[in-house]
Amino acid sequence: MDLNQTQQRIRWGIFITLAGLAVLLTILDSTGNLDGALALVRDPFGTVLSWTSTRAENVNDLLSAPRDIETAQLEIEQLQAKVDALERENEELRELQGEYQILLELFNRARETPTYRRVTAAVIGQDSNPGVRSIIIDKGSADGVRVGMPVESARGLVGQVFRTTPNSAQVVLVTENSSAVPSRLGSSRATGILRGSGVGNTMTIDWIDLRFQVEIGETVLTSGLGGRFPQDLVIGRVIDVNRSEADLFQQAVIQSAVDFEALEIVFVIVDFEPIDTSIFSTSPGG
Amino acid sequence: MSASVYVAFPLMALLGVAQTAVLPHFPILGQVPMLPFLVALAWGLLRGVNEGAVWAFMAGFWQDMFSIVPLGTHALVFLLAITAVLLIQQLLPLSQFLLPALFATIATIIYLILHTLLLRLLGFPLALNAVTSLLPIVILHAIIILPIYWLMNQINRRVNPRRVEL
Repeated sequence: MDLNQTQQRIRWGIFITLAGLAVLLTILDSTGNLDGALALVRDPFGTVLSWTSTRAENVNDLLSAPRDIETAQLEIEQLQAKVDALERENEELRELQGEYQILLELFNRARETPTYRRVTAAVIGQDSNPGVRSIIIDKGSADGVRVGMPVESARGLVGQVFRTTPNSAQVVLVTENSSAVPSRLGSSRATGILRGSGVGNTMTIDWIDLRFQVEIGETVLTSGLGGRFPQDLVIGRVIDVNRSEADLFQQAVIQSAVDFEALEIVFVIVDFEPIDTSIFSTSPGG
Repeated sequence: MSASVYVAFPLMALLGVAQTAVLPHFPILGQVPMLPFLVALAWGLLRGVNEGAVWAFMAGFWQDMFSIVPLGTHALVFLLAITAVLLIQQLLPLSQFLLPALFATIATIIYLILHTLLLRLLGFPLALNAVTSLLPIVILHAIIILPIYWLMNQINRRVNPRRVEL
């Protein structure tokens, strides 16, 4: 057997082994057989991601500051060192004010719905797959976070917990294709299942009955039906309505209220009172 | 196969962390390039199919670790996309400066198509328009691969100096 043939065999051997291993891992993970083992690996990485993300954010802040620095440098030429110090101090205060604003919004949101029990979490990573929309947060099962719990920010619904480790969790964004949220339109009162489009910050509600007059700009809220999400969480606004008299239904295109690129802090709603649907489970006879 | 395959595992873990926690803070033209994918591809272009396949698998494995998709999906798709490109490379003349850009384009397109198909097969309803929205990443990869290829080439020359027979 010549050398070339041996090399070919080795090549295909490696390829088939790796491909087989990948398929095996996919099957095992899809059937939930790797959950425990993967949590052991993913959990310590939650801490690493948290540390790295914070540093990267700081560097990003530094790099995005050149405009302020340039402005400050012009002023330095004209003013004394004291002014420079004051500028810097001012910058820090603005940073603090920004953080305060975020916390105030979160606090106000928590005050609006005191019956919900929330866990505050920092966003420490985004899905490494550009085609899938999810985030990683720094709270996990040790903090009471469970799969399926809704996640919101001060502006509105963010998504749902998809997977947890003791100290971190992955959240599928509401704009992800696989996401489905029972929702209600604020003014027209039409209800439907809101689905992510997987593109940008938009979602759609299909199959809305034509008798509802859906208006652009209407607020979209969670309906609470199904019990997976609390009632009246803000999701976004209607930005387009696809209505054709030839069809039996209409479709509303929704813009999310949340800027997912700028998400820093989120709430995991760990406990809420689902809307009472017991009336439907009672038989007509009593 | 050289000892570089043992380096691949921790290196790809590091790149996986960077991909998840660092790069999203620095998007280029609104897109986040897939660094582990490009590094594995560049190394494969320099070192051949065998090492490229192992690096691709490692890159995909760590990419899966920080994604909601099932473990092994990226590993499989990276392996297929990068190996396919490396096999094509063997049919073409020795690598020119711009060839990595061409290979990155082909590999990324193969990745996007295979990954979408695989995820749909696994029950993730990825829409076609979601895939087309990712097309700018193809152009970005074609550009970003050039400095990565240059860097990996420098590393390769240091780690595996060419033997000259006298």
